[in-house]
Amino acid sequence: MRFGLKGAAIVIAAGAVFALLWTRVAPVTGQTESYRAPRTVDGRPDLSGIWQALNTANYDLQSHSARPALALIPAPPHTGVPGLGRSKPVELPAQSVRALGAVGGVPAGEGVVQGGEIPYQPWAAAQKKENFEHWLERDPEIRCFMPGVPRATYMPYPFQIFQSADKVLIAYEFAGTTRTIHLNEVQNNPAATWMGLSRGRWDGETLVVDVTDFNDQTWFDRAGNFHSDALHVSERYTPVSPSHLLYEATIEDPKVFTRPWTIRMPLYRRFEPDKKILEYKCTEFVEELLYGHLGAVDPATGQTNK
Amino acid sequence: MSYRYVIPAVGLIGALAAGCSTPQSSPTEGTSGASTWTPPRTAWGDPDLQGVWRYEGTVPFERPKEFAGRELLTDEEVAQRDQVEKDQAANRLAGFEGAAVGRRSISESPIRGNEYNSFWQDHGRPRRVYKQTSLIVDPPDGRVPYTDDARKAEARSAARYGVGPYESFLDPDTGERCLTDGVTGMMWQGPNGGHNQIVQSPGYVTILHEEYRDRRIIPTDGRPHSSARQWFGDAVGRWEGDTLVVDTTNFLDRTNYEWASIWTRPSETLHLVERFTRVDADTIEYKITVEDPATFSAPWTAVIPILRLADDTQIYEYACHEGNYAMPNLLSAGRADAARRQTSSR
Repeated sequence: MRFGLKGAAIVIAAGAVFALLWTRVAPVTGQTESYRAPRTVDGRPDLSGIWQALNTANYDLQSHSARPALALIPAPPHTGVPGLGRSKPVELPAQSVRALGAVGGVPAGEGVVQGGEIPYQPWAAAQKKENFEHWLERDPEIRCFMPGVPRATYMPYPFQIFQSADKVLIAYEFAGTTRTIHLNEVQNNPAATWMGLSRGRWDGETLVVDVTDFNDQTWFDRAGNFHSDALHVSERYTPVSPSHLLYEATIEDPKVFTRPWTIRMPLYRRFEPDKKILEYKCTEFVEELLYGHLGAVDPATGQTNK
Repeated sequence: MSYRYVIPAVGLIGALAAGCSTPQSSPTEGTSGASTWTPPRTAWGDPDLQGVWRYEGTVPFERPKEFAGRELLTDEEVAQRDQVEKDQAANRLAGFEGAAVGRRSISESPIRGNEYNSFWQDHGRPRRVYKQTSLIVDPPDGRVPYTDDARKAEARSAARYGVGPYESFLDPDTGERCLTDGVTGMMWQGPNGGHNQIVQSPGYVTILHEEYRDRRIIPTDGRPHSSARQWFGDAVGRWEGDTLVVDTTNFLDRTNYEWASIWTRPSETLHLVERFTRVDADTIEYKITVEDPATFSAPWTAVIPILRLADDTQIYEYACHEGNYAMPNLLSAGRADAARRQTSSR
């Protein structure tokens, strides 16, 4: 095996360096002057490679405890016995996800939002809560829709960065989505889009990407965090070690939030030899869910639909 | 035998340097007319294929029966077709669809442009007329060498549009299901003209096909094939002089789905070899050899000239699945049809 102890040692060493840098620089600006990335032939920091987030941000950008399932129902309280603890309702997995057992549970996580709070306007905070409660019917991830930005970055799938002279390409595994980051001048999209229009520039060691022209259909996570079509995301990709990028995204949306807010997380390089981005063509995985009941026949059962 | 992209003298802006080939040899070896042209290189020294590319020719994929035994059109036929292209482009610019110039079905039309649904096909300018009578150059008859079973599947596929059945989401073809129309024809097919954006970085060539947001990541670093089977197989590339050669195997079997064109369907035995050669500033000569005993009785080869679009051309987001209202509508109509039949048979 080509990725053996030596590889592991590199990862551990790189991890130690990163941890040091992270602790030292993260609270200040998120930038580091200590690490200088290798250069591309035209002298830019070389971010190319396959990267992946290793966190629970896709479950919830904010701090959360572990829970039994993404979709929960309150079990009816047991009130017959005085003093019984179960007079307070217990949350149990909803019927539709119960069969998954421990596979369907939600791991706990520390938040990635700087300062912890997502500054929703009051109506939007209520909307977020409602989204959370109706996750199963509403999360676009379930329907294999393009995940939008920044969510594509921290979904539990790898992505690959390719750097050319005036384009940077990000190929995400989930739903086969690709972003072209234009380093040259381009016109705005003729219509609102799921993945937005990305314009990039270099700021020292950092690739800064301004993303606009979004629709209002994507979410930030499985917790119902959302935005409107006024979303503007400003991303920063900074190499902080040979194995890590520091990813920051500042989110502005005057229709939904009271001020801009920022998420921050490390992205990890995938070291497997000859690692590739593979297909996750989930459209065919969700057709039964979306259309199985609509036709004359349900192909999953061969039965005529009532 | 010489096989050339012969550009008619009539009214085409910019001559296309001729890529010449025989079915037996690479089209790029012995390329004439481009001998003084040096293909550009990327900053790291690979041949530079980057840009947005599209096939804009009128050559049918398979040789129509009327041209059996003929590889090339006469000059008169070329001139006539060129005039039709110009008329059709002018009609489209003037806002006329189909009927204004005589509506033709797709199967009847020797040159597509104003048939039903032609808005999908609007190239915005006259398409290029080439002399050859088919994109397929081998076998010599210019036809797909289907197996008997595959020929039946192709006939069934061609006959089912607008007829059905539409009992479930498995009945529409892979394109209607927003999956893909297949990797085999990706470089030159597509209702919107088949825009392909090629971006290179050291060790990689990536191709984004606008339609269905089809994507290919082709490593050119000498790695072996990966063992994971995929819809688009596993592609590995290498540079042979100025030519990118891509070998693709390890396809998923999707012969149990409906395909708009049977020749684009993958099975586990599909093997593609593609050669991309920039023969002048504006043209990639794309040559594809397709082998799959599950569908074809022999390998076949097509050669397609693909044109570079203006520098500022962008490809856009193709949110097909996200907006697939056609699927519920098809199924609802299919269901209504089934109910109607049941009632009328009582």
